[in-house]
Amino acid sequence: MTETIELALKTLEAQLNQPLETALEACARCGICAEACHYYRAEPKVEHIPAYRAEQLRNVYRYEHDFISRLFPVWTRAKKLDETTLANLTEIAFSQCTLCRRCTVNCPLGVDTPLMMRAIRAMATAGGTAPEILVMLADAAIEKGNDPSFYKEMFLEQIADMEKQLRDITGDENATIPVEKQGAKILYVPLAGAHTILPPAVVFNAAKEDWTLSIFEASNYGVFLADVNRAKQVAKRIVDEANRLGVEEIVISECGHAYSCYRWDVPNWFAGQFDFKVRSLIEVLAGYISDGKIKVDPTGIPGSVTYHDSCNLARNGGLLEEPRYVLKSIVRDFREMTPNKAEALCCGGGGGIVALAEYAERRIAAGKPKADQIKSTGARTVVAACENCRLQIGDLNEHYNLNIHVTALTDLVVQAMRLPKPLPGMEAEHLFEGEQVEAPR
Amino acid sequence: MTETPKLTLDFKGLLCPMPVVKIAQAIKQVQVGELIEAIATDPGVMADIPAWARSTGHELVTLEKQDKIFKFVVKRLK
Amino acid sequence: MLIFQLLALAGLAAGLFGIYLRYAETKRRALPIDKSPVKGNIPHGIAYAFTTGMMPWAKESTRIHLIAYLRGIGFHIGIFAAIGTVILSPLRGFLPPLLSSTLFWVLILGALLGAAGGVMRLAEHNLRGLSLPDDHFAVWLTTLFIAVTGLGLVFEAFVVPMYIVSAVTFAYIPLGKIRHCLYFFFSRTFFGKFFGRRAVFPHPEPLK
Repeated sequence: MTETIELALKTLEAQLNQPLETALEACARCGICAEACHYYRAEPKVEHIPAYRAEQLRNVYRYEHDFISRLFPVWTRAKKLDETTLANLTEIAFSQCTLCRRCTVNCPLGVDTPLMMRAIRAMATAGGTAPEILVMLADAAIEKGNDPSFYKEMFLEQIADMEKQLRDITGDENATIPVEKQGAKILYVPLAGAHTILPPAVVFNAAKEDWTLSIFEASNYGVFLADVNRAKQVAKRIVDEANRLGVEEIVISECGHAYSCYRWDVPNWFAGQFDFKVRSLIEVLAGYISDGKIKVDPTGIPGSVTYHDSCNLARNGGLLEEPRYVLKSIVRDFREMTPNKAEALCCGGGGGIVALAEYAERRIAAGKPKADQIKSTGARTVVAACENCRLQIGDLNEHYNLNIHVTALTDLVVQAMRLPKPLPGMEAEHLFEGEQVEAPR
Repeated sequence: MTETPKLTLDFKGLLCPMPVVKIAQAIKQVQVGELIEAIATDPGVMADIPAWARSTGHELVTLEKQDKIFKFVVKRLK
Repeated sequence: MLIFQLLALAGLAAGLFGIYLRYAETKRRALPIDKSPVKGNIPHGIAYAFTTGMMPWAKESTRIHLIAYLRGIGFHIGIFAAIGTVILSPLRGFLPPLLSSTLFWVLILGALLGAAGGVMRLAEHNLRGLSLPDDHFAVWLTTLFIAVTGLGLVFEAFVVPMYIVSAVTFAYIPLGKIRHCLYFFFSRTFFGKFFGRRAVFPHPEPLK
């Protein structure tokens, strides 16, 4: 047995807890999960049925754990793990499953196929067969946490520039973007890049919030690798920062996997050192609107708008009603996709696949059901509260000629705040280009 | 800088993590010791590219901001 | 007759013991304790998983495959009715005629639905691709079990076959695919805990 296989099997054993063994044992292979998967919808073939993908891991599990399978492997297609099988498993878990859990909610037994795909991802990461880009992105993030000094100066310069832009947009000379503010109530964790800092800064300033900006980004590629060790190291940067600043709450940018990570995983990884409330920026927006902390024009967005439920935020995160509350507060013509909320279709951009150029063609093909769904709403603006979803829907827009504008929820809220100047790229003529809309009242 | 970059790349409009993904792919296309020059518009590169260089063992030769453009040069070291 | 009854009983005991061993094996494994703050309601999530969430209209998949789902439900009703019938079989001469004939038709229908499932596994491209030899064997064995149990209620000639097939079926439960009956309970419980905690199921009310 090679070291790769040994490590992969050891990782499988280490993960084999009650939920994983249940997922491995419960499937009756009835196949009605097929259409739940966007890969199957885009290209209906046996290999794209979630149960079939899970079977590839079950074959290995049975060989290791089921004596009937050991005696008569042909009876259950049991298979000893080898390099070829591990390569096949790796490919399946990283390029044919976005961990969206749509199959789970559609399974009469509730089989958690993504849990098995995560188990494979962890096996692949341990065995060294996981996509190197994801490993590299996770390691780069850990490096930033080890010594933020090498980029902090540049980061602060960038924030100073952004502050000028903020004042220009809001017309408020006192608007600020505080960084590392000791004792602030909220630590806001953005993604890398101005587009997830400037719009929330507008909102926080308007709401007169006591907040501070994190010097780290929320995304966590360790999660996509299902490598808890790396994922914890990436998350520790934020946990330490929150502890150091003494904040009450961590607010996560519009990012599906980061919300899922900090809201649902981090409290388990750092039990005892983590008593912060974690909210998504979406919940904060809903709260500000409902409490009247920010003023929005209920007809501020005159064009047709639809909302894409990120799987990590909605089906796996429970943020089903909050974004709709926000949108209905500002949009005149809101159109739901069908199906939506817990039954929403994955856009095909989850699970880290947007960073994997080698699977781009497959990703775009698997996004076809989402593209069709968007098209059938007839809406010209698609709101997605997750960066990976926005990247994917942007690519779908280009590939399938959807002629849509893809935006974050916060950007649209800022638009409805009727400030002296719009955010970059959110000029009304650009946002509603070619659409017959009434002028905002 | 006296050496001429082997590759010149344009990452304008690309958001995180795409500049890092692209540079990681591009570094395999040059020989050890050769340079890649790139420009980007996402300010995230100011942290991400140095972090990528440190974690992968390549050299970040320069990284500068020119108006709204971020220009950087990396050298393949292994 | 007694010897065949004892054979069926031995099969049942072996099956139950095997299922217990499986249960103990799974319970021996770690159960992660989720410390993330609850957003929804875990007991409601679990209740949903076993009740409303099992309704044919609750899931897109069962709405699309309504016939197949109902076929499966009918087949499983047949299985549980057959198990009950075998257990009650020493009293079969004393059963009220209405109960006997109802059981008979439930079992015959269950067996027909089981056979339909067996044929679908062979005929339908996706199902054939998914199915293991174990799956084919399990569906036909269970179908045979339901059928002979039904016939055994009415025809004396089928009583001995009923006990023999029962013994084999019961003993096979923990060995192959049929053991999903145990994991169904684990799986739906984990489902309910997960989605209940996160306020996904039961569906939350719109915010006002």
